Amino acid sequence: MVSHSPPEALLAALRSEEIQFAIALSLKTSLASTILCLAVAVPAAYALARYDFFGKTVANTLLDMPLALPPLVAGVGLLLFFGVSIPGRDLAEAGLVFVFTPLGIVVAQFFVNMPFMVRVMRSTFEGISPRYEHVAKTLGCSDAQALWRVTLPMATNGLIAGSVITWSKGIGEFGAVLMLAGATRMKTETLPTSLFLNMSCGKLDEAIAVATILIMISIFSLYVFERRVGGLRL
Amino acid sequence: MLKIENISVDLGEFALRDISLEVGDGEYLVIIGPTGSGKTILMETIAGIYAPDEGRIFLNGREITGEVSRMRNVCMVYQDYMLFPHLSVKENIAFGLRSRKTSPGKIEKKVEEASELLGISHLHSRRPVTLSGGEQQRVAIARAIVMEPAVMLLDEPLSALDGLTRERLRRELKRIHKVYGTTIIHVTHNFEEVFSLADRVAVMNEGEIVQVGTPEEVFRRPKCEMIANFVGVENVFKGAASRNQGLMEIEVDGLRIVSAAAGDGDEGGNDCGTAGVKVFASVRPEDILISKVPLKSSARLQWGHGLSAMETCKDGGSSHQRNRFNGATALRPWRRK
Repeated sequence: MVSHSPPEALLAALRSEEIQFAIALSLKTSLASTILCLAVAVPAAYALARYDFFGKTVANTLLDMPLALPPLVAGVGLLLFFGVSIPGRDLAEAGLVFVFTPLGIVVAQFFVNMPFMVRVMRSTFEGISPRYEHVAKTLGCSDAQALWRVTLPMATNGLIAGSVITWSKGIGEFGAVLMLAGATRMKTETLPTSLFLNMSCGKLDEAIAVATILIMISIFSLYVFERRVGGLRL
Repeated sequence: MLKIENISVDLGEFALRDISLEVGDGEYLVIIGPTGSGKTILMETIAGIYAPDEGRIFLNGREITGEVSRMRNVCMVYQDYMLFPHLSVKENIAFGLRSRKTSPGKIEKKVEEASELLGISHLHSRRPVTLSGGEQQRVAIARAIVMEPAVMLLDEPLSALDGLTRERLRRELKRIHKVYGTTIIHVTHNFEEVFSLADRVAVMNEGEIVQVGTPEEVFRRPKCEMIANFVGVENVFKGAASRNQGLMEIEVDGLRIVSAAAGDGDEGGNDCGTAGVKVFASVRPEDILISKVPLKSSARLQWGHGLSAMETCKDGGSSHQRNRFNGATALRPWRRK
């Protein structure tokens, strides 16, 4: 696929305004959704790994559900929620418009990728004996300090791997994004959307240029992931 | 002084039942007991990891039952070291002092002192994963001792080490105890550690403390069958007790074992002095004499039996004798229940 078009054509396509826009938008939205995922998944995964609480099984199932759901369906659900439900309308009135906006891209990526992040972080935390925290506490740490000074640094590999895989999945997310944010050229055009739009109107060079970028991102993230969590059980 | 009053903890899998224990200042107490007897939970409860369901804990007269770990000044060393892998050896040792916001100069001095005592100064810049088991445990002990804890808890500190390292570290624990004068509670299932380190020993079984005393007391006079079995008394017999002229007589399969001292009673509160009560009697192998001719001695128990077989077993370099007699095994006991 990479060798289909001559390199000059690929470079020219990469320089086009549209592709540049798609790259920038993809980077921004995927970065934002990854940070959101981290903020939610790390505490959630820590709680799931360390504590027994009422409704833990239900919480686990709920968190895993988007994993089994086709992203397209998840997107429809999100569209209905943000488009016609009452809380969705309230949000829109408050200025948070998710339907057919770049903000919607972030939310779609976040919703689809959060379970992956939770899974990676949960097994990371499960792999760290709680005794490290016990020792830290007898050495003068509060609960939060033990987490900050011991558990999180020990979870660095999982954090990096989880972030990279979430980020790369975010960049590649299409179905849910398409449903919630639409495919408007130069507005909600991420890399996969751009690939889809260019392909459907026969601009093969542009489409392949975008595909090449996506391939490179996948290879990079797979490499990081394998190096960091080769042995983790997900 | 550490005082534990009627502590109960229930963690589902393991539980502690009504534990009471006192450990004096500067005392070296060894807790011994089979796997799953709740030794580690007891330690973690003292350290403040688990809150007891019932009972109270006092440290130097202050109640610490509900206090968080970091305020207790009780440090813990685990069997598997639990060194923080992302920190260097030096940072590991200094970890607690840093939590306490000790001044850098003081940290430096204390870390150096402890490292020198444990012979790990040359390892300071290394990461824990690059150390041997013995070195890691020294670092873990140093990390605890620099805190100058009121009580230091050692949870099977030598169990993961090979024979030679274990012996060396055991001697060092003794030395550290002398130098720092710290109160130490040390959990183990190794008898050598009891004899070489303990001022007193507590035996735990199924979440309860079944006997506390000097090592000599516990090994000589195990309080119940479980302890006798656990401390390696081979000859344990079940029989009926009766009192005869101030001595205990125990009928075992037609043989009469005379004991100069009655036991303190079993867990069930059985009074061993009551006639007909079932008791366990043990005879230390080293107290048995075998002679071809009747012995002229003050030993009260002498049985004449024919010797039917005598074999010498050799296993792994050490040899011991096993003697078989006619009928029931015959003994020359003179001691106690």
